[in-house]
Amino acid sequence: MEDFIPSISELLEEETVELTDALDSFEAWDSLTVLSMIAFFDSEYNVQLSAEEIDDSETIQGLKNLVESKM
Amino acid sequence: MNLKFKNKKITGILSVIPENEIKFDDEMENYAFSKSQSMKLKLIMGYNKRRVVKEGTTVSDMCVHGLQHLFDTNKLDKNDIDAIVLVSQSPDYFIPSTSHVIQGKLGLKTDMVCLDISQACSGYSIGLTQAFMLLDQEEINKVVVLAGDTYSQKVSIQDRGSRPITGDAVSITIVEKSLTDNIIYGAINTDGSGAEALIIPAGGFRTPSSPETSEMVQDSKGNTRSLDHLVMKGDDVFNFVQREVPPMIDKLLDRANISKDDVDYFMFHQPNKFMLKKLADKMGVSYDKMPNNIVENFGNSNSATIPVNICFNLGEKLLENTYFLCLAGFGAGLSWSSVLIEVGNLDFCEIINYNN
Repeated sequence: MEDFIPSISELLEEETVELTDALDSFEAWDSLTVLSMIAFFDSEYNVQLSAEEIDDSETIQGLKNLVESKM
Repeated sequence: MNLKFKNKKITGILSVIPENEIKFDDEMENYAFSKSQSMKLKLIMGYNKRRVVKEGTTVSDMCVHGLQHLFDTNKLDKNDIDAIVLVSQSPDYFIPSTSHVIQGKLGLKTDMVCLDISQACSGYSIGLTQAFMLLDQEEINKVVVLAGDTYSQKVSIQDRGSRPITGDAVSITIVEKSLTDNIIYGAINTDGSGAEALIIPAGGFRTPSSPETSEMVQDSKGNTRSLDHLVMKGDDVFNFVQREVPPMIDKLLDRANISKDDVDYFMFHQPNKFMLKKLADKMGVSYDKMPNNIVENFGNSNSATIPVNICFNLGEKLLENTYFLCLAGFGAGLSWSSVLIEVGNLDFCEIINYNN
């Protein structure tokens, strides 16, 4: 999970992100970004997430917890 | 379900595509998203142009046009057709079946089998395997597999999730008995618990279309549609494809005792460029062996994308050469299916336009 923050930053088109940031606070936050995340977690961590689970995770920390819980 | 066939071959493929072309850029303003969001979507998903029928044109119209073209150019003798297998989820009518409408319009012989198979994106392999089974009959020597849809007519103009991928097309594939001792491997899988992942909720017998079902409602993603429109859970479909398709192909190749390197091309159904690239990555197959350019040129026409893919990307090469092709479809049902087959020395492999 070392590359989690840099990877998420890239997907959200931000230089960096904080664990406390709300997912829907980002300008790039839309269904396409969610799909890109689903594809990223599937290929990098072999974890399958639904769009709903990602939406419900609310923050970067929540997203990280979600991914870790499925690894 | 593992399937295996002997002494069958494909001898010709014709794709029929409507002339009417729509550009993604011209429809962006219909969607409740910023221009930059839509441009990003266009880039990643590979949206550009798509071909759609004008209102009133049906699958049978395009099939009749294509078959008549084959009769007129002496590529097919109408008296030789012993069976029609039509794969489509856009029937002309609930009653009778579309294959019968086509048989009647073309004045084909009555001593023949006509079957409609209700399948979408996974349908091409299912239609082919049905044709192979029919060819086991002594008196059936030539089967015409028709595959395609006009579901652009069932997608909301304000649905950015489904509208930009939809294209219309039909394909005509001639399948015959073969004297050479070849083996064709196939697989068909089913998961009806995912029926709602890709669905048109109203318009059938369960919920007939009514003024209520045509009411437009905006969803949480900003897309607006009615119950009469197609609705797709994009993330569910994506996860399903990434989870089920790679192991299906591994198993298919294992049974044939060949490796991915032995396959010349993976001619897969094309829902969008993104999905195909991710599949290729997961399977460890290079992008040039798994073409992904159909949606950007024509749109996704369900069961017709594999034959359109073959005609567009291999086309004339298949008149002279023979390639080992792995075909795979996946989508509504849920359904996923595949066929491993040598294809070559075809009598024809081309695309014609339908002008309506």
